[in-house]
This record gives sequence, structure tokens and C-alpha cells, in this order.
Amino acid sequence: MVLTLYGLAAPLGGTATVAMTLAEKGIPYTFVSVDLQHGEHKQPEFRKKQPFGLVPALDDDGFVLYESRAICRYLAEKYAGQGPTLIPTELKAKALFEQAAAVEFANFEPHARAAYNEGVLKPHFNLPIDASALNTCISKLSDNLDVYEVILGKQRFLAGDEFTLADLFHVAFGTTLAEAGCDLMTSKGPNVKRWWKEVTSRPAWLSVLNSGIKTTMCEDDAFKSGVSEP
Amino acid sequence: MPFKIYGFPPSTCTRRVALVCKELNVPYELIPVSIPKGEHKAPEYLKRQPFGVVPAIDDDGFTMFESRPVARYLVAKYGKGSTLVPDPKDIIATAKFEQAVSVENNHFDEPAGELFLQLVIKPMRGLPKDEERVKTLLATLNSKLDVYEMVLAKQPYLGGDILTLADLFHLPWLYGLTEKAKLDLVTSRPNVARWYQEISSRPAWQAVKDGA
Repeated sequence: MVLTLYGLAAPLGGTATVAMTLAEKGIPYTFVSVDLQHGEHKQPEFRKKQPFGLVPALDDDGFVLYESRAICRYLAEKYAGQGPTLIPTELKAKALFEQAAAVEFANFEPHARAAYNEGVLKPHFNLPIDASALNTCISKLSDNLDVYEVILGKQRFLAGDEFTLADLFHVAFGTTLAEAGCDLMTSKGPNVKRWWKEVTSRPAWLSVLNSGIKTTMCEDDAFKSGVSEP
Repeated sequence: MPFKIYGFPPSTCTRRVALVCKELNVPYELIPVSIPKGEHKAPEYLKRQPFGVVPAIDDDGFTMFESRPVARYLVAKYGKGSTLVPDPKDIIATAKFEQAVSVENNHFDEPAGELFLQLVIKPMRGLPKDEERVKTLLATLNSKLDVYEMVLAKQPYLGGDILTLADLFHLPWLYGLTEKAKLDLVTSRPNVARWYQEISSRPAWQAVKDGA
């Protein structure tokens, strides 16, 4: 049974987040590129899979799921027996994981996404950057990363001492920050820098960056190298 | 040792946690953190919630924050037999639940929250509304609720056949927007109206809707 991932063939956003999780777990998949430029995601055919008209979407032998974080959680649960444990199971460890995942959603993603939209997408479409808006989201992100600096001084990863989806959810949008002219992930402080280097050096992410998001073959060495040690 | 909520009674997120306590019959002690007085930014509170927002909880020494994770923890610890979170062994039901939880967080929470700020909080503080921003937010929220209308035509709740936290998480903002901002978001959407009528009339919500 092969999974089909529908999305954007670029190492950013929700599609890349799911691709990284697939690589962490060593799950083969078929990739179908959705033509965002020509509005394929807004067409009725695609909306049958994703009624909000967004990417990504996953089709697991007829079971269709959307929302990148929900897809990643599903993969982590279904393939709990292979690759790293991406979601803890013990009561308190799981609660602290959920706390860290919520922090990503509330305190990191909105500002990282806004910085990406302002600093990368706008120039791409030859629109002028609103410097004040860009500075605002970078400033908010900076304030929140001050807290990350403290947290990551006491523990290796955001939910504790093990890598989890809470860390993984940061990678795709965090990587685009540099392109928006923001070097916070490496300049904020030694703890954030150490953590950022560690999560972005994982073979699973490197396989997304280097080999791209594409249909995997079990014999594909680049894909096999994406399976991190548990 | 009662479950302690450090929060501000009218706050959306504080009421979200109190709601789930009521649903599970978990008694709680609310320790007030006054937003108007800036107590959420005081060093003492920042030790509990380093991002300086409410609420934070203390369950017999186990501390955490963020209302939705707290809700999940409450169900995991105190919700034996509760279906507010699907059985983890049911991977499909869990996936559909997580999809619905993500939709609330990703599509609903932000426009709803900012609309409430523009239409209720700003006037309360004597600040002018940003009419252009309100128009944009309304358009966004309405387009999302149009999708909800389609989803709820095929299933009774956002996660599927059973009421879950994914439905309940919507209550604080939806109540605020319909009752305080007097927005008509549901009458033209019979499925959303049916769903909202059901979740908002639950005794647990009635108990905390105007203050945790």
C-alpha cells in the first residue's frame, strides 16, 4: 500500500513538513505535485480532498487527511514501530509534547509565516516589501525566541530530551527565515543555535533539501539515508 | 490537592480550560492573574508561563500551559471513559480528530480572535475600529465557516460522529462573536447553526461562558 502526498514540490511549508516526517519514518510514498501557480488547489477536484483549498493532503489507500500537523501525527502513530518515536506516550511527557507543539503553533509559525510572506513571497511576485510589517513579525519572533533560549538551555529539545514532532514542525518555515533576511535561528543565542543546527542537520531534512520532495523508491539511497536512527 | 488554574476569569483561554474541567467534573481552584493590572507579565507569573499569557495550571505539582494541551492532559488523566479525545488505538478516529483540532487552530482561531479584538475589545478601550481590517477578517472567517457548513452537512461533529475537544475549542470565540459582537455567523448556515446550538447549550459551557 503506498501513500500519496499531494503538495508543493519545494522545501517549505506544510508539504515539506510532511515529507520530512515520511523520511524520518522511512515510509515510501508517491508524490503528486499540485500546480499552485495555476490555482489547481482551488479547483473543485482538489477541494474534494482538501475543502479549504490548501496543500498538503495525504491519501492513504483511500483515507484522505489534510492539515500538515495532523498528517504528521497520523504517520507517527501508524508507524510508531519504526524510526524515531516522534510523539511520547507517557502521560506527563505527552502533555509537555502537546505544550511544545502548541507553542510552535501560537508563538513561532504565525510570525515565521508572516516574515516569509513579506520578505520572500512579495519580492517573488515583484511586490514591494512593507519594511515595517516585516520588522514587526521579526521582532515578535525575536521576543518569543528569547523564551526558547531559556527552555533550550535546560533541555535538549522543546518537549524534553528527545526529538519530537514539536521540533520538526519548526524546520520548514524556520529554514525560510534566512531567505527573508532574518538570521534569528542562528543569532538569537547559543542554545537556539545549537538546537537549530541539530534539528536541521537530521538526515530526514537533508534528504528533503537535497533530493527534493518526490516519489520515493525503496532502493533510493538518498531516501534511505533519510531514516534517522531511533 | 485541587487542580489549580492560574488565569483571568473572562479570558478566552482560561474559560477553555475551565470548560473541560466542568465537562469532566474536575473541581478546580482559580487563582486570579489580572490582565488589566499586567499580572501576566510579572516575574512571578512568568516562571509559570514564560510567554506571559494566561492560563497556566498546577496539578499537584505538575505544571504546564497552553489551553488546548491542558485540555488534552485533563482528558488523558481524568477522563476515563470520556470520548472527548478518541481512543489512541483507533488511529483513523484519532487522525480525523487531529485534523479538526488543527483546523480550529489554523483557520478559525486567528480571524475569530482578531475580529473579537476589533469589534469588542477596542470599543471597550475607546479605540477606533479598523474598518478595512474588519472587512478582511469577516471575509476570511465567512469563507472558513462556509467550509464548516459543507463538512457538518456530512457528519454531526468536526472530528466525525462523536463530539470532541475539536468542537468545544471553538466555544469561547464563537460565543464572543455571536453574543458580544452580535455577528450573525450561523443563521445562514443551518448545519453550523445546529452544531453551534448543540455545543453551546451544554451545561459545562453554560457554567463558564461568562467567567471561569
